[in-house]
Amino acid sequence: MPSAIGKEFLQPDSGQEVVELLVKYGDRALVVGGGTFLHGLVARGVLREMDVLIDLQNAGLSYVKQERDALAIGATTTFAELAAAERVQNKPELGSVLDALRYPPAQIRNMATVGGCVATAMPLFDLPVAFMALDSSVRAVGPKGAREIGLHKFYLDYFEHVLERTELLTEILVPRQPSRSASAFLKLETNANDLALLNVGVRVTLDEKGTCRDARVVVGGGIGKVPVRAVSCEDVLKGQRPTLALLKESGNVVSFDIHPVSDFRTSAKYRSTVAKVFVRRTLLRAFGRLGVHLDGQS
Amino acid sequence: MSETSIIGTSVLRPDAYDKVTGGKGFPVNVRLPGMLHAKLLRSPYPHARILRIDTSKAERLSGVRAVLVPSEVPKKKFHPVFFSPGMAASMIPDMLILSDTVRFAGEPVAAVAATSPEIAEEALDLIHVDYEQLPFVLDPEDTMKAGAPQIHPHAPNNIAMAPSFAFGDLEKGFEEADYIFENTYQTQRVHTCYMEPRVCVVDSDTFGNLTVWSSTQSLFGLREKLASALDIAVSKVRVVRPPYIGGGFGGKLDIGFIEPISALLSMKTHRPVRIEHTRYEDFITTARNPFKVVLKTGVKKDGTFVARSAKSILDTGAHATHGAVVLMVHGMYGFLLPYRCPNSKWEGFTVYTNNMIGGGFRGYGVPQAAFAVESQIDEICEKLQLDPIEFRLKNSHSEGQPHPFDPSFKLDTYRFADCLQQGAAQIGWSNGRSKGKGTGTKKRGIGLACQPLWVSGCIGFPDIYEHSGAVIKLNTDGTADLSMATIDMGSGQTTTLTQIAAAELGVPAEAVRMTYADTETVPFDAPSHASRVTYSAGNAAKVAAGAAKKRLLEVAGPMLKTTPDNLETGGGRVYVKGAPDRSLPIADVVKQAESPYVRMVPDGMQKTSLQEKGTVMGIASLAPAANPSPATAEFVEVEVDTETGEVKVLRVVYAHDIGRVINPAGAEGQVEGGFQQGMGYALMENLVFDQENGACLAADFLSYKMPTAVEMPPEIKSIFIESNEPTGPFGAKSLSEPCAIVPAPAIANAIYDAIGVRIRELPITPEKILAALGKLSE
Amino acid sequence: MKKIINLDINGQSQEVAVGPHHTLLQVLRDELGLLGTKKGCDTGGCGCCTVLVDGKAMYSCMIFAMAAQGKKITTVEGLTENATLDPVQQAFIETGAVQCGYCTCGMIMTAKAYLSSNSSHVPSDLEARQAIAGNLCRCTGYQKIVDAIRLAAGRRIVASSEKG
Repeated sequence: MPSAIGKEFLQPDSGQEVVELLVKYGDRALVVGGGTFLHGLVARGVLREMDVLIDLQNAGLSYVKQERDALAIGATTTFAELAAAERVQNKPELGSVLDALRYPPAQIRNMATVGGCVATAMPLFDLPVAFMALDSSVRAVGPKGAREIGLHKFYLDYFEHVLERTELLTEILVPRQPSRSASAFLKLETNANDLALLNVGVRVTLDEKGTCRDARVVVGGGIGKVPVRAVSCEDVLKGQRPTLALLKESGNVVSFDIHPVSDFRTSAKYRSTVAKVFVRRTLLRAFGRLGVHLDGQS
Repeated sequence: MSETSIIGTSVLRPDAYDKVTGGKGFPVNVRLPGMLHAKLLRSPYPHARILRIDTSKAERLSGVRAVLVPSEVPKKKFHPVFFSPGMAASMIPDMLILSDTVRFAGEPVAAVAATSPEIAEEALDLIHVDYEQLPFVLDPEDTMKAGAPQIHPHAPNNIAMAPSFAFGDLEKGFEEADYIFENTYQTQRVHTCYMEPRVCVVDSDTFGNLTVWSSTQSLFGLREKLASALDIAVSKVRVVRPPYIGGGFGGKLDIGFIEPISALLSMKTHRPVRIEHTRYEDFITTARNPFKVVLKTGVKKDGTFVARSAKSILDTGAHATHGAVVLMVHGMYGFLLPYRCPNSKWEGFTVYTNNMIGGGFRGYGVPQAAFAVESQIDEICEKLQLDPIEFRLKNSHSEGQPHPFDPSFKLDTYRFADCLQQGAAQIGWSNGRSKGKGTGTKKRGIGLACQPLWVSGCIGFPDIYEHSGAVIKLNTDGTADLSMATIDMGSGQTTTLTQIAAAELGVPAEAVRMTYADTETVPFDAPSHASRVTYSAGNAAKVAAGAAKKRLLEVAGPMLKTTPDNLETGGGRVYVKGAPDRSLPIADVVKQAESPYVRMVPDGMQKTSLQEKGTVMGIASLAPAANPSPATAEFVEVEVDTETGEVKVLRVVYAHDIGRVINPAGAEGQVEGGFQQGMGYALMENLVFDQENGACLAADFLSYKMPTAVEMPPEIKSIFIESNEPTGPFGAKSLSEPCAIVPAPAIANAIYDAIGVRIRELPITPEKILAALGKLSE
Repeated sequence: MKKIINLDINGQSQEVAVGPHHTLLQVLRDELGLLGTKKGCDTGGCGCCTVLVDGKAMYSCMIFAMAAQGKKITTVEGLTENATLDPVQQAFIETGAVQCGYCTCGMIMTAKAYLSSNSSHVPSDLEARQAIAGNLCRCTGYQKIVDAIRLAAGRRIVASSEKG
């Protein structure tokens, strides 16, 4: 497979400069975060006409900051950096993110960036699902200025999101979660270095009486072009005390919300079947983080 | 005394230091001055005729030095397989280096040599090919039907070969049966996944002599097949032995397209030419062939086999390559021979399709058979309520009986029963199989599978080379240089051979070095395949070392004032038998042999003895005396998640009648590595293709799932039974292939024990398990 | 267009001409003659190309050489000091973790990075396996590689407790 014959390798010093380069080079430019997905595409000859590489590592986008109402994660923060960041430790409400970050092998964790992962718009990726369970949004800058877009509105299709070609994703914003919240994430994979056959991210919130006040259930993997918020699953939980039977019921209704696909990795039927199990197990894991341990299998 | 301190010791691999500090010896590292780089243009269509190739633009690209198209290659068809002579009647010569007709998606159609791989790659885009697409067929049963596209002119109905064998009276046997079982099994295409890609550098001179470096499993096989493909004399091709290669497993047992293409480009450009496969190219160039096996078995209620029949269909893809021999090995060692049965019949079909070509892969047709046979035995035992161990013993061969393939040999050592009994004790078989014990939705089970009969090399098999040679010479510092054509592909061939030679010579293991060799300097060795190196090449090394030792003792005799037959060696010294204090360092004896005949001493000139002069060395080239059979039993415990269908392997016990263990760590390594391959085969590996166009969908390691360290069980216990085979070097017979044959059926049988479902199609994916449990919902 | 850049490889500054799309793996092997880092798949799937970048294990086949400027790159050639093997290398030899050897250098680099940042305890069997989840091996079944990692970790703890 032919590889890209690149013409330029640029390392701009700021997000603004990146935007200027994107405007200048248009379709020829490719923004590189960790490069972990990019190289696979290059090796397959997919990106040949993009001969200007814009490397983001000097653009000042590696950080994990606490803003007033949200955690702001810079786009070039690596998986490993985020997993080790002090601001995400010991926070059950951020469990989904830490769960997702534990799956890839060390090399990927050290290289892959949070922004790159979100911006690739690959429905088989994990972090977007984990972030979506927390109602996260994306901050982007472009020639017309900056804007924020909720992740649930961000994705359009495989490898397609709402940003213009001249916009740069600069941050992921994870809003402050309601108190007494916990989140979790599980992934179904064939071996330890794999894209998700299916993945689930959830966030649950209890009130003072131990009733589930609110929930988010997001399903990704081979269940469609974009991750899906499984509202039917959420509705089962709201206002109810969590029990194993309730979680099972919540899992069972996921089939109303997702339209899995069959591909060479597995079938739609299998994904449908296991989605129910995984929604249940991910909810179990999240409730466990709130001290609610339900009998039976994990 | 010396032998036991070396044989049976986990001597450190002599090449380990090099490998942990960088590994200089891999063929992928060969660099020659002025070397060009070549790339192959490959057909996007599974079946097409080339109407026109226009390379003019490519030739004009700066940096391009030569282009090769089908009209320029020799027109004589060849077969690429290393272990058979070119004209062997049992092989099927159906390949050209480049052909006007392409028969699988990815078959090379042209090549470019340039000053860099990137320029070569760019040049490929500038080659214009007009294809006439032809109807194609990808299904191995459809391919035999009337009206299917004809893939090769010599094979009507696309059947490359269709052997069959029958013994006794099958019909009568089925009439006598108390129970008859009929089942169909299907296995998938998997890739060998050696980690070093296929790579070669070929240099030429003005006389058309070639020198070849290649990641290959055979020096002499490569020489012969390359000469055959190029239609030149064998003596014009010199293949250099690499110190080691980065894995082979049977996937480098043939010339790929790369060596002949590299050779032709080298001859055109008068420069060395290098070709390295991308991982994608490796995925589509060699594979374990898929098989469909229909087994019909009749048994008495006490479990005795009375009638067995099987029909096997092997999809060999676009060219036969290994398909002829894989089929026969499958039929013989997979079905007919391992167990006794008075009435048997086997029919095999090697069929052409427009799928990718296949190659060799550890087990060579028998993993596919064992999956069927060993799964069905488990099913028979379950139905008849018989113990799977007793069932197998009832139907197996016994030590001392004639070998089922060639009755002129006997099963001198054959400890199948010990394998079963010791393995069973280790796993706790007598506690009763698990029958789905476990917590909640996770169920456990234990399964057994065996390979009761195997080979140690290929003596006795038609049209397969089986002889080895070695040259060993001793140095004045007490070391020895061993020179053999044997390829070390990672299984530890060099370590084993130097250990054997050292033990025979009576020197420390580290004193013997495997040194330079090429096809002009050493005797023939057959490829590193068929579990043959320890037994066959090891024997040659031992005989050569023995000859060197004999010469050593002849020189030492006068020095120790005795006769040679009164001497022995050990620990680097020659000593008088029964008087170990009367000894000399071997180094001194060699110095005596290599020093000048006449020495100057204070009194004048002193003569030594002419008879002692000469390099102390030994040469051997011989065929092994027999083809002894190891035996194997593997017990596996699994845990099945009945909600997701995921299978985890918890424990493995592997028992093997090995004759003699030369290097314990090395032997365990074969078992453990074989389990990774067998487990991947059982549960996850699948080289899948788009049925609309024959394109490979899983040609990278993200899409092609192979077990990582995480999926492997925490422990694999190896039990080696030392039966001391009289014809093997220090009692050894073979090991490696059964390690990769038995895991899949053992896992399948363990899954049955855990959840009561039989899956007869590989890989056993979580989806198949849920489907079998009736749990797949809409 | 190729540019001349400087890369810090094993503590030495190396000047090399690279194109924008050239990977660190290509530069190590084809320009700098450092053949210990291997190409197994070129798509970040096998780990044979693993090097350390500022002490962290990464796939060099997926790093643009130009992006590697200003970083401390360690390859397997940088592990041996004065002909003394790194304890991880030594352990690999001793446990029989080396068969064909093609995955070995990548495994060693990954293990080295893991042990450097987890130096206070011997990893469990599972932890050691997870540490090398990004490195494929077809020969060994990983068993003796896991043994080597745990052996090296154990020795490091003994060595540091003897010092302390």
